[in-house]
Amino acid sequence: MLEVKNLTKIYDDGTVALRNVSFTVHDGEFLIIIGLSGSGKSTLLRCINRLIEPTEGQILWDGMDITAAESGELRKVRRQIGMIFQHFNLVKRSKVITNVIAGRLGYVSQWPSLLHRFPKGDREKALAALERLGIANQAQKRADELSGGQQQRVGIARALMQDPKIILADEPVASLDPVLAHSILGHLEMLNKEEGISILCSLHYLDLVQQYASRVIGLRAGEIVYRGTQQEIRAMTDEEFKDIYGQEAVRVGAGLGTSAGGAT
Amino acid sequence: MRGNSEVRRRSRERAPSLTPAPVNGVASLLLPGLGQILARRIGRGLLILASLTSIIGLLGWRIVALAHRQPTPLAMLVRALNRRPFFIGAMLVGTVLLWLWSAWDAYQEAQPGRQGTAFIFVLILVLFFGLGWQISEIDLYKAVTELSDTWPLLSKVLWPWGAATERVTETLEAEAPIQIPCTDNPPAAPEETPGQPYLKAEPTCGELSDLDENNDVIPGTTMTLTGRNFEPNAETQIWWGDPIGGEFRIRQAGEYVTTQADDQGSFQIDVTMPYRLVPPSAEGAQMMKVMARQISETGAVRLSEPLLLSIERMVETIFLGMMATAFGIVLAIPVSFLAARNLMSGSWFSVGVYYVVRGILNIVRSIEPLIWVIIATQWVGLGPFAGIIALTVHTIAALGKLYSEAIESIDPGPIEAIQATGATGLQTIMFAVVPQMIPPFVSFSIYRWDINVRMSTVIGMVGGGGIGFLLVQYIRLLNFRAAGIAVWFIAITVAILDYVSAEIRERFV
Repeated sequence: MLEVKNLTKIYDDGTVALRNVSFTVHDGEFLIIIGLSGSGKSTLLRCINRLIEPTEGQILWDGMDITAAESGELRKVRRQIGMIFQHFNLVKRSKVITNVIAGRLGYVSQWPSLLHRFPKGDREKALAALERLGIANQAQKRADELSGGQQQRVGIARALMQDPKIILADEPVASLDPVLAHSILGHLEMLNKEEGISILCSLHYLDLVQQYASRVIGLRAGEIVYRGTQQEIRAMTDEEFKDIYGQEAVRVGAGLGTSAGGAT
Repeated sequence: MRGNSEVRRRSRERAPSLTPAPVNGVASLLLPGLGQILARRIGRGLLILASLTSIIGLLGWRIVALAHRQPTPLAMLVRALNRRPFFIGAMLVGTVLLWLWSAWDAYQEAQPGRQGTAFIFVLILVLFFGLGWQISEIDLYKAVTELSDTWPLLSKVLWPWGAATERVTETLEAEAPIQIPCTDNPPAAPEETPGQPYLKAEPTCGELSDLDENNDVIPGTTMTLTGRNFEPNAETQIWWGDPIGGEFRIRQAGEYVTTQADDQGSFQIDVTMPYRLVPPSAEGAQMMKVMARQISETGAVRLSEPLLLSIERMVETIFLGMMATAFGIVLAIPVSFLAARNLMSGSWFSVGVYYVVRGILNIVRSIEPLIWVIIATQWVGLGPFAGIIALTVHTIAALGKLYSEAIESIDPGPIEAIQATGATGLQTIMFAVVPQMIPPFVSFSIYRWDINVRMSTVIGMVGGGGIGFLLVQYIRLLNFRAAGIAVWFIAITVAILDYVSAEIRERFV
């Protein structure tokens, strides 16, 4: 269980990115954060594993305060928290398998890993993860030879290698077309349902939110302005969505003339 | 929005001129540019003023340079016009034209809604171009008519391979002693050995040629040289040897003395004893010798000395470049981290280090390797090591900057992603930073190796070892064929290196 309490982040230049944000992610939830770009979604996700240092507040991971963890403890926490990114953040020149196996770095001993020596089972585990995401045949290619959707699946495979209890997903489909968006979120949903991995995901397409979220929070200018259950979000109309979200909110399918997510 | 419209308004409607337009014109006639300044076109006015002042100043300088012996300025102008009528005439007309145009331009600029044309600046550029042509002594006529003078030299450099091989020579030689001056017992003629070349001089003593007070030659004793057992029908040279081992070919009436052996390999020739300074300290009679030599090519072909030396020095050059690159890379890597802004932005101290390192790199890089060689030769003496030091210093500065820019431009995304897996700092560097750094590092390093080998062909000229050292010696000896061989080796090596480095870089990036 992840509890965020009164989290505030003020950047050095004085920008207030998060103001007194509190919420909880229960085990097995698919919690979606909505909000315009610049509303603080990315900062919030990065504060959770302290890629960005929070200014104030607490983040409790199964009761342990991440914000107080020193570096060794922090790494142990981080390895339980998978993360995927809008721009995939793969090492483009490395092979797919190398990118995936890097997910084990938090578990292996440091010196052998610097020479790319990993324990026996890790390679098979990486191949199995790629198999599960349907791209096992791409394992020996360079990461930048893959299409966007395939690269994001490599990103998920890398997160899977951490045996995560929760996955933080920062706009995972914003760089992908609508069909791929469903495919990627489908993979996350499968992990959520089959493995009970909690998902904390930022999104901004209403139909995707309606289809996948088990709970939703809305951010605007660093503050939580909306909390809704699955039923509430599914009953929401575009106008209400735009109210909390701003005028730029769109459905994924809007351009295609279909309502891929279906609001029912 | 407001800012935009303000800018637009400012550019469309200028503030009105301070004075009525004719006043501007007269002002610019008195002092070019003044009228434009009064019309609130300060930049334009200053530019015209500065240009016209420099043009007049430079033209004055050229006139004085062409006629510096004339007493008055007018006489100077007339003389200069006589010597370079077209240049001086055109420049004077152009300058007057520019002056008048600046007045017209000021008149135009001062009127609301009108502007002077930009052609006034074209005229300024044309005048500067004319001055530049004369100052830098461009002479196309000479360039064309005297082009053929380069051919004897250029042809040797372009196709030097005649000097790449030489034939083994064999020297057939005999000598006879001569005493200067004669004493009571002159030396005996040498014994004749059957089958060996033999030379006899008659007499075996005498006086050398000398000069009288009018520098006219007083001929020395004439001796009759008889040779036997030489190569039949071959050219024979006559040489003179002094007691300290000096040898030279005897000349008579400006020509080397040579003779042709007959069918039996014998010859006979009369030779006057040569003019030779005898040191004042030499006392008594000196034993000298006269020699007959036949130099024949025996047919075997071997590689010439310039060719072998060029190959040797080229190998030295390539390794010189390689060593300098290797040292440079090793030392540039740590430096580059200190010069990368993204790594050094942590505290005021590290930012200070960043600026200091950047500053030093820029200074070192701006000093050419040729100058570093001169410093290094003072340190470790002439030779390839000095060249290595010089190139290493320059390489550190150049690569340090390139590397640091590569570090600055890496994608932070993978670093974030690897950190998020719980990796340590070292693991993050190894898995997220290093893979991104390899392509630019390899690419820049090979590029630099390429540059260093090319550089090392030049630094030899100032004492840094390598083929440049050889090349500059051959040029100074006017041995253009040998120089041509060195140039060819440099060209071939650079071309190969260019190709190889491009190939490697393509593979890696």
